[in-house]
Amino acid sequence: MNGLMLVARREVSTQVRTRAFVIGLLVTAVLVAGLSFAPKIFGGGGDSYTLGTVNSQQLPLQAAAPEVGFEWRAFPDEAAAERAVLAGDVDAVLVNGAKVLTDGEIDAQLGVLMQSVNREFKLGAAGVAIPPLQMESVGADTRYEAARGAIATVLVLILFMLILGQVVMVAMGVVEEKGSRIVEILLASVRPWQLLGGKIVGLGILGLINLVTILVVGLGAAFASGLAADFPPGIPGLVAGVVLWFVLGYAFFATLAAASASLVSRQEEVNSVLTPLTMIIMATYFVAFYASNEPTGTLATVASYIPPFSSMIMPVRMAATEVPMWQVGLSMAAMLAAVVAVLAFGAKVYERAVLRTGARLKLGEVLRTRA
Amino acid sequence: MLEISELRKRFAGGPSAPGGKVALDGISFAVRPGEMFGFVGANGAGKTTTMRIVMGVLQADAGSVSWEGRPLDHDARQRFGYMPEERGLYQKMRVAEQIEYFGRLHGLSAQAAKKATDDLLERLGLTERRNDAVQALSLGNQQRVQLAVALVHDPQVLILDEPFSGLDPIAVDALVGALQERCRGGVPVIFSSHQLELVERLCDSVGIVSAGRMVAAGTVDALRSAEGDTLRVVVRDPAPGWADGLPGTVTVHGDRHTLLTTGGDDQEILRRAMKAGHVEHFGVQHPTLTEIFKEAVA
Repeated sequence: MNGLMLVARREVSTQVRTRAFVIGLLVTAVLVAGLSFAPKIFGGGGDSYTLGTVNSQQLPLQAAAPEVGFEWRAFPDEAAAERAVLAGDVDAVLVNGAKVLTDGEIDAQLGVLMQSVNREFKLGAAGVAIPPLQMESVGADTRYEAARGAIATVLVLILFMLILGQVVMVAMGVVEEKGSRIVEILLASVRPWQLLGGKIVGLGILGLINLVTILVVGLGAAFASGLAADFPPGIPGLVAGVVLWFVLGYAFFATLAAASASLVSRQEEVNSVLTPLTMIIMATYFVAFYASNEPTGTLATVASYIPPFSSMIMPVRMAATEVPMWQVGLSMAAMLAAVVAVLAFGAKVYERAVLRTGARLKLGEVLRTRA
Repeated sequence: MLEISELRKRFAGGPSAPGGKVALDGISFAVRPGEMFGFVGANGAGKTTTMRIVMGVLQADAGSVSWEGRPLDHDARQRFGYMPEERGLYQKMRVAEQIEYFGRLHGLSAQAAKKATDDLLERLGLTERRNDAVQALSLGNQQRVQLAVALVHDPQVLILDEPFSGLDPIAVDALVGALQERCRGGVPVIFSSHQLELVERLCDSVGIVSAGRMVAAGTVDALRSAEGDTLRVVVRDPAPGWADGLPGTVTVHGDRHTLLTTGGDDQEILRRAMKAGHVEHFGVQHPTLTEIFKEAVA
């Protein structure tokens, strides 16, 4: 265990000091923060209208549509109001409490709103009180659907990029040691599983540093920008789930990446030997992306139990909709079993292949022969 | 004592050699504490394979390696120092950090690793480069770092594959000094080399391998006496046919006749030579290791 921790510590301390890691972390933090402020900056959070009055009272539109912004201006006469409408200064002007001036067809939402509020206003003035309709949903709670969908989409992207990035780092590290023959000296002092495990743990810690930075910056910025007001309940549970699923998914793919990389001796060969693995990660990403749009569909539900797809799809489902705890537990148990199986297999391939430098080895040949 | 006995290893065959290739065909030898053992042989004779098996980097098909009477295991190997044939260092890691790291992997505490690293850097003249990345060093200095990596944990046994290859004469002397010092401290040192003069000068004993077998082993003196000395006689302007009937061969350079022989009565040969002409040289030549080597692998 001591050897494993030493190897892991070297991975962390050498990577953390590289410019690539520091810059990468900063860029990610800025991007995530920017994403959290974007809806504010690009005029999200509902529509807003500028309205005018000529010899009329302002309609109580705000009370009827609290999420929409209204700004009122008064004009001395109809001619002045017309000029303002044509200049695009105002969207609509209420004249004498009886007609509305617009430039072309009125905005549909604004038209309906003005009509109904005006009717209610006049009736109220005449002493007729109409109780507003009670709205009640008998289906699923859809209030947070948009927010959940957005969170899920962002989450898929983060998990995909982090897992792919760290997995490639593991593969490159394995080839660095194999190609330069350092592995011979290393294996004279530590066992293969310690070397393999240390590398996976070390680069996993770096991945977690990235993930936690993204989560902290993202949530912090969301609260600062007010975006968090639209967040569904249960965010802390979701965050914990994402971290856990990242660890499982990373452990699965990183072990396979290390085993694949141990078959080659040159950095140029890393890409081609990783191709099958990157295809699986891409496939997982696409299914997860699809699941973020349709989290209750059959594909999403089924795939969220199948390792390694579950490592990205289950957290997406958890973000996009309510998932019962037993389903999460079952999926996690399956993934955990897959990780253990992959670790046993990967360690065997790595141990047998990592000292056989030269031409690219075939997996079948490695499995047949002893070191 | 490090004992290697009856090591056998066959590598799986490729398209060129479907039956596989026998790398080791029953190699045995032993190295005592404080002994410097020179491992000599043509390329592909099995030196590197033997060393890699001793270091546990490769598994033997048969045979055993024991250290202090017990089969060599991973824990014992942790106290060995190893320099592989193909040098390997983390190119982007700093010199001092790298040496310390290997010290820790060999089981040293953080403080012990740091102290050993400082001492070695001082001894190898690398103190000023301690914070440079390895890739910024010259090849000779990288070789010194490689040696430091093998020595940092004060190993009980040193296994060095071609430690002198690519070194300039000054670096060779520095390395020789470092190895002799360890040897005097009771550490058995095994190294392979193609520089036979160096092996002859340094080693207490020599093992000559050929085609996976140990064809000659022992002290340099013992190998010499097995080979037999050569008598060399130079006579100027002798009478023609003076050497008729004498064993050995005569070569002629101008008026100088040189007789080389490994047998015959030396006193009789001297008398004949003196009668035939002016004897310029009469002496016994010890065979060099190169000659012994060529003879052994022939």
